[in-house]
This record gives sequence, C-alpha cells and structure tokens, in this order.
Amino acid sequence: MAVRSEPEVTTTGEETPGVPAGPDLRDRNVLLLDLSKSMLAPLPEPDGTSRERQKIEVARTAVYRILQDAAKSGTPFGLVTFTETVRIPVPLGTIHRDHLPFIENLISLLTPSGRSAIWDAIGTGADVLRAGERGVLGNIVLVTDGWDNASTRYTARSPDPSAPGPRRADLVSYVLPPNSQLNVRVLGIGSGSERDKGVDAGEMNLLLGRLRQRAAEIGSASAFTFQEVTTGSQLFAQMVQAFLDVGYGDEQPPTDELHPEELARTAATAAKALKDPGAHETVSRLHVGPLPSASPASPVVAPEVEVGVVPTNAGSPAYLKDRYGPLGEIVEAYLAGSYDEAANLLARSASVLPPVTRSYWEARVLFAQHNAPEAARALLQAWAEAEKLPAESRAQVQRRLALLQAKLQNDPSVEALVRFLDDTEHRLEGTKPVIRERLRSLLGDLMELRGTYQLTRLAGSGDLQDAALKHEAAVEQVFGRLQDARLELAGTGPVVDGTLDFIEICLAEMR
Amino acid sequence: MPEVKVTTRTRRAPGSRRETKASEDSERIAVVGIPASGKTTYFRFLSGHFGLNLPITYVPAREDGWSLPLYGDLESDVALEETTYETTDPTDPEGSLETTTRYYVNRPLEDRRKLWVELSAGREDQGILTKYPLPTKFNQFVEMRMRFRYGASDAPGGSRAMELLTVDEAGGIISDYFTYDRLWLTSAEGEVSEKSCRVIPHFDSWRPDRQELWRRGLTLLGRFVEGADAVILLLSPALASLRDQAQQVNLARGVFRYIKSRNLPLVMAISKADKLKEFYAEIERSIRERSYRSHFDTADFLLRRDGSGMGTILVAQEGRAISTREDVFLISSAVSTGEGHPMFLGESGEQAPEVGSPTLGVPVMVNTTLPLARACERVLAKRGTKGT
Repeated sequence: MAVRSEPEVTTTGEETPGVPAGPDLRDRNVLLLDLSKSMLAPLPEPDGTSRERQKIEVARTAVYRILQDAAKSGTPFGLVTFTETVRIPVPLGTIHRDHLPFIENLISLLTPSGRSAIWDAIGTGADVLRAGERGVLGNIVLVTDGWDNASTRYTARSPDPSAPGPRRADLVSYVLPPNSQLNVRVLGIGSGSERDKGVDAGEMNLLLGRLRQRAAEIGSASAFTFQEVTTGSQLFAQMVQAFLDVGYGDEQPPTDELHPEELARTAATAAKALKDPGAHETVSRLHVGPLPSASPASPVVAPEVEVGVVPTNAGSPAYLKDRYGPLGEIVEAYLAGSYDEAANLLARSASVLPPVTRSYWEARVLFAQHNAPEAARALLQAWAEAEKLPAESRAQVQRRLALLQAKLQNDPSVEALVRFLDDTEHRLEGTKPVIRERLRSLLGDLMELRGTYQLTRLAGSGDLQDAALKHEAAVEQVFGRLQDARLELAGTGPVVDGTLDFIEICLAEMR
Repeated sequence: MPEVKVTTRTRRAPGSRRETKASEDSERIAVVGIPASGKTTYFRFLSGHFGLNLPITYVPAREDGWSLPLYGDLESDVALEETTYETTDPTDPEGSLETTTRYYVNRPLEDRRKLWVELSAGREDQGILTKYPLPTKFNQFVEMRMRFRYGASDAPGGSRAMELLTVDEAGGIISDYFTYDRLWLTSAEGEVSEKSCRVIPHFDSWRPDRQELWRRGLTLLGRFVEGADAVILLLSPALASLRDQAQQVNLARGVFRYIKSRNLPLVMAISKADKLKEFYAEIERSIRERSYRSHFDTADFLLRRDGSGMGTILVAQEGRAISTREDVFLISSAVSTGEGHPMFLGESGEQAPEVGSPTLGVPVMVNTTLPLARACERVLAKRGTKGT
C-alpha cells in the first residue's frame, strides 16, 4: 500500500522491523475511511496554481490507489467507513480485478456527513482482522482528517474509572491481544496543527505510542506509522500521471473461460501473427518476456505511469473524474460519444497529461471520428513516447497501442495476440512474481519462434530442410519448457492453465 | 485421492482353448494415432474381423514388385485380443476399475491358406462394452493385440511371428503419452507416476477414477512402446476441429522425438485418405480403369504442398527418420457405391447423393496393408543389420 512520500508529506513514528513476509493472515488489509462532514472541507493549495480540492476527493484518490495495489497483489482487502456509525461496505476478501470498478464506484458514491468515531472504527477494523486465539493479524490503513468526537465503545487513552458517563474500553488492549501482529498506518488528510484542519496529531501520536508500548509488552513485531497529506497537489500529480484506456466493446471472455474449441480458434488466429511477421509488423514492437531490470545507463526519462483499462459494459464509471482528474473527464466524454468535446478537453489538458497518454488519446478520438490517417500519425507519436517510459509501464502501454494499431489496420491476428497477452498480464497480477516471470519467459520464447519459422518460409529448396530442422528443434525446446512449467505450476489456478493451453496450441500452429 | 478398486474378469467361450504365444517370441509394432485416426478400423480389418475378401486397391502400386507376405498366425488360435479397462460407474465418487478380455480366434478352413476370424464369445457373453458411456469414452480404454506372421515360410529364414499393439478407444492416452515426454518410461517395467501426469492439461481437475484409469493406460502404452521394435503412426488428414489438429501435430512431433531417441523404425499412414480430394480422384480413376496404377506423387503432395498439414515437421524429418517416398502411405477404407466405384464426396466433404437405384455398398480398402508390411520389412532389415 503506497501513497508516495513527497516533501509536503511528513512522517512521524517508526516502523518496527522484523515483520515476516509471506502469504499468511498478516497480509490482510483493512482500510478505514473517514466519512465525517469535515471531509467536505477544502484542502488548501498553497501555490494557488490548481483548484482547491475537498479532503474527501483527496482521500478517495488515495483510497483508489490503495485498492488498486491490493487488487494487484492479490492480498485480502476490506473497507470500513465511519461517521458516528461504523459500517463495513466491503467485507474482507480478495479483490478480483474485475470487481475493482464496482468498489471504486461505491467509494465515489459515499457522501460525508456527521461526526467521527475514529477509535470505534479502529476497534471494528481489528475485529475484521481478528483470528481467534491467534490475535489480530494484518494491516490497518486509516484515512481521516482526524478528530474523534463520536466514539462510544473505545478510548485511545487509558480508561479513567472515575470519569463520568458511559464506560469505554481501552482500544489498545482490544486491538492488540496476545499473539497479535498488527500494522497500523494513519494517513492524515490536512495539517494537524490547528483544529478542524487536519488530524489531531497529539491524540493520534498518543495512541500510536501506546500501541508501540503494548506491542513491546506482548512481543509483537507490529508497526505503527502516521503520515500527513497537507495539500492535494502531490496526489493530483500522481492521479494524472496515468495512461487510461477503454475497451472497444468487443472484448472476449478471458482465455481460461473460453470453450476449448474457441480457445483453439483464438490461439490459431493469434499464431498467424507470429508466423508472418512481415504482414504483422506491430508484433515486433511489443515487449514480451521478462521485464529488463532498470539500468543506471537507461535512456528512460519519463516517470512510471499508472496504466488502467476502464470497463465499458455499464457506461461511464462514476469514479473517473475523482480518480484520474482531467484524463477522467476526457474518457467520460469519449464514452458518452462526444468525440468533439473529448478532443477539446484533450487540447485543454495537454500540458498536464503524460505525452504518451496525450498522443494515444488523440489517436483514439481521431479513430472514433473515422479519421484514420491522422489517427495513425498520432499513434506513431505515441509509440515514440512509449519508448521513453520505464520498462513495466512501457510494456503495458505498448500493448494498448498495439491493440489500437491492430484496429486501425483491421488485423484480427495481431488483435487476438495482443488481447491474449494483455489479458494474461492483467490476470496474472495477483499471482506470485516468480510465476509471472515464468510465464512471461515462456511467452517470450514463443515470440522468438517467429524468427526460425520465418526462415522456413524464406529458405530456398536447398536450405529448406535445414531451416525446418532448426525451427522444429526450437519448437521442441519451448515445448520442453512448457511441460516443465505445467509440472511445476500444476494447481496454481485457471489463469496459469489457460495461458499454458494457449501457448501449447500456438506451438502446434507453428508448423 | 480415493483408493481405486481393480477387478479382473476374463470372458471366454465355453471350451475354447487359448494359446497365446509368449510376447518375447514376437517382433512388436505399436500403432499410434489420435482419437478417430483409424486405429480400430486398422486392427479389425487386418485381423480379418471385417473379412479377408474385401477388395484392396493399391494406389500407387509399388513399381519394384514389392510383395506383401502378411499371414495369419495359424499356430496360435488367437488372432486378436482386446482387453477393455473401464471404470464401473462414473457417478461413483470413489470409482473402480474393471478389465474384460475378449478373444477373436482363428478358425482355419479346409484350406489352411485361408483364414476366418470370429469372436470367441457369444453375443450374449460380450455384454455391453461401456456400461456407463461418457461422451469421449474417458471411462475406458481397450488394449488391442493382434498376432500375425511376416515372411513366406519358404523364404530364407522363414516367417516371423509379429504382434501389432495399440491402446484403442482412447487415442487421448496415446496423444498425451507421446506429446509430453515427461511421461515417457525408460523401462518395460516402469510406471507413469501420478505426479508426472500433471503435465497433462487440467489433469488435477479430473475425477480420481479417471485419473487412475488414464495413468494405467499411459503405463500400459509406455510399457509396450518401450518394448516395441517399430511404430506405425496413423494421421488423419481432414480434422475439422482445431483442437484435434493441434493434438495431432503435437503427437507427430512427440513420435518423431520418441523414435529418434530409441532408434526405432517409423512408418506413417495417412488414414482416411479419401478425404483428400486429389487422392480420392486417383482412387476413383484407378478403380474405374482397373489399372491399379497411379502417378500420384505422395512425396510432392506431402512435402511441397503440405498435403497432410504437417508442413515443416515432415520436411524436417525427411531422410532422417523417414523417407516420405518409402515410409509414408495414403490409406483409406472408402466405401464403393456398388459397382466398384467409391462413393463420391462433395466439396464440403459430405457424401454425394446416390444416383439411380440403390445398391449395396462394398468396402474398398486402399493401401491398408502397405504400412504394416513396410514396418515389418524395416524391423527385419534392422535386425539383419544387427546380425541377430
């Protein structure tokens, strides 16, 4: 879960080292989102260059990012919202990538009102992560503008028996029973230096201090941190640093959900793009295979961009503007079929969008306006800009560019191949990195076969047998690796199986 | 995985005598092919189950006067042995396996040069082969073992006992075994492990009894191909399904890999060759003109025009594991419309409507015995080279 630290973001507290990693109960995450009325207040922008944004907008942006990270890593995630009442709109569970838009829509519809029961929310978050005798295991991220004024069940301070009114339980011992391993991260929206502007830093630090003390007493390797986001500009900058795409409305089900014969047909169509590289040049622009590690001498100059694809099956999602700022507005206009408006918005936002995003959307809008020559020109520019991106986002962006290019050139073979590669990458996001790399490597091997196959087409009659022999040997080698992958990754899941099935059929087609 | 029960039952006709010869005496030839590649037809026809008096057409005939000294083995009364391995009830979560063996026996006529083959068990004893049929017969496979002799008895060295083996009704087992070399056994006593079976796509998702049946089938196949002296690969040229095409290509690549690693002779038979429109015209012409000669160039058809859909695979193997001209045959069991002419197929591959008064069709076998004779020839040639 990462909200990037910028100069305006101050960090207090220290992380306790020694929390072991691994796919266990400690990898579960619960997000506590403050929906009190004070979240409607604007967050000041000291430089005055951008419009003031409400704290809830900034909080949502942070939440979207956290959600996306959870979906990407495949770790269980739950959402707790609170005013004076605590609710659990998203119970703890794995966030499937396909469900992400629905949850994001839900978050965009949550309206702040009422007061803040922060301590009760933390207590409920701990309940979600409670694992019986094993204590509370997992991570809590609290996003709040921070003054508790409505908790009725728990208190952050040691309970005072002599205090008047209803008795409240000690939050610290409640959330950290013996054997617990709990990390709490507080993301404070606004400055806590004055009341109603941000988190009550004094009270929050008191709680975190007591939690650290309690963790030491029970021998728990827990971590407790507090960050303040005092302006919206950093989160806004992250928000627009994105490459957002939308589908074409003709998407197929994922590979592992296809009927076997349909899978075979798709793989055979895709294999045509591998068998004739000359006729499908777009394929050679794609990077398929393990991602290269960053090198200091790398010519990369552009920062990483967040790459997303908006589902279009239920119209324009409600979260687009909140999450992606001006890019979201462009996409909304595009999805509404207002291509002229999308072009205008694009022209107005050109300076804040990443160059690759700008060029791509120019191409996309022009394509929708049936201006294929100009779309091709803009797409060419996008290819050039994509080359400057860091490896991970470059590979993702290039697949989206290739898909548009295939559409422009009416090339179903490249389209089938790119769709498969893109779909596979996305669906593998929740799997272990080692599995992802293994499959990327196999896909890279498959793509390499283009070379030996092409030689069998080009060879004269005298060299044909040699070329065929080399190609067959290369196919056998990849097939051997595929078998090893089958054995080692057996039972990993339908996504992996579907990917291996597709590669196997493509190999049979490379004959 | 639940334990799988195994029962063995052998059905025999009362009083019938079984004299199956020890396999060690015979040269063994394994027949392999994907489902619906023609294995059953091949065995049933060659063992005489369809009768020996069917017209056989050779297209093209060999110009060197090559003989086909294939004979029934009259010393053994069993011509064909079929053992069915089946799960008893697919709805039983624990599953169980049962085996049933049936024998097709020789019944020499007065003239011992002629042979008649009949099923030893009466119809009522045969039972129903598949009690709980699944659409793709995943609940059974049949081990087929045919005995015959190759070589004229008056020839130098006499004739030799031969066995033709396959796993029938489950070409999927054959495809899987050859496709995935991680399954290959290295001894005739070896066993395909459950772990290595996971190389088969989605194996983990199968019912336990089907997994066990498949593993046994793979083991059985692995053992007899490990002891085989030659392999006949049946290829179907007109597979409508892309999955089947991919399966066949993978099988062919696997078989080439296998025979190279074991230095085994390989003979290929493109079965159902009547599906190849061009070849079919040759059959039709050959029969009409009673010439039994053809200028059809199999090598050109297969290698340069990708006639069997094997493209680079066959080109790569040409002259190394096989000679397309000598070791690949187009075979067919086309059915005549009644006057010696095979049925015509339409553009779509469907049977053309009959014209005139209906007549009984007569099966016409094309080249069927050639692959077997060639395999025998290569086995003996190899043995001769070794000086044994």
